[in-house]
Amino acid sequence: MWYTMMPKELMFPEPEGISPITQNVILYNGIPVLAERDENSSYRIIRVMSTDPSHFLMEDCQPGTVIKE
Amino acid sequence: MPDMPNFNDEQPNVPQEPKPEGPEKKDESEQSSLLSKIQTLGQTNVPQMEGSSIHCLTIVGQIEGHVQLPPNNKTTKYEHLIPQLVAIEQNPKIEGVLIILNTVGGDVEAGLAISEMIASLSKPTVSLVLGGGHSIGVPIAVSADYSYIAQTATMTIHPVRLTGLVIGVPQTFEYLDKMQERVINFVIAHSGITEEKFKELMFSKGNLTRDIGTNVIGKDAVAYGLIDEVGGVGQALKKLNSLIEQHRDDESKEVIQ
Repeated sequence: MWYTMMPKELMFPEPEGISPITQNVILYNGIPVLAERDENSSYRIIRVMSTDPSHFLMEDCQPGTVIKE
Repeated sequence: MPDMPNFNDEQPNVPQEPKPEGPEKKDESEQSSLLSKIQTLGQTNVPQMEGSSIHCLTIVGQIEGHVQLPPNNKTTKYEHLIPQLVAIEQNPKIEGVLIILNTVGGDVEAGLAISEMIASLSKPTVSLVLGGGHSIGVPIAVSADYSYIAQTATMTIHPVRLTGLVIGVPQTFEYLDKMQERVINFVIAHSGITEEKFKELMFSKGNLTRDIGTNVIGKDAVAYGLIDEVGGVGQALKKLNSLIEQHRDDESKEVIQ
């Protein structure tokens, strides 16, 4: 059950062509990051999921970074 | 999260489901410098900065619980936050938690679950409402040991009602009322506001243009006893550090006795 300020239409807009984006939480150098898989089967970091503030300062896991497999 | 088990770094696994092998074979010709970096560094962390003894939880957008929201929503997911809170409780190196809120609300049960988790942590917690802490964000904000609200931040208190989807539950007035009671009881148990005042804010007319409820701004939230103090990240961290000191003193006393 929702208890939110946001109207239902904004939360659930009409679906316009479903894009099969898969997001996963992966460990990168021991840091949990939310990453999105792109066409080249590499991952792009979306969000750092750690609670440790020092992890947000690490250059190699800034959002937008592409991790190749 | 230092407590999380370390698997192979290039393995795209959710930490809870360890698999012995990577799902795909690596193409050796495609090895980049980044990959070699991952391989050379292995499982050790890059020693750039000492791990902080204060950890930070950011709760943004919609709080997602039983129903997965479409990708246009920015969400904070229950299944991400709960293991983080467990890790914080278990890791002896973590001494305190700062909770930063900028949320429009979300799932009642997920929000209450997160609130209960924060309230029952044995370590000092301080929350800071920045921008907004609306609807189900209210119990989360008050669940910390001490709460701050930025001067410009607002909290909307309104009744729980049928917005969005209710799947598989009896959509009766009694059910809604019980849900609302759970929220109200948590808030009055964890903040200085009285039940009468909170209900008055929740059901008042004329404050919101198209709805009943109240939009409470910064210092008003403090005046009603909902939030402890108006402040920013500086004050919040100072308070958290003093709570940590106090917690350490209490623990050492226990050891002596």
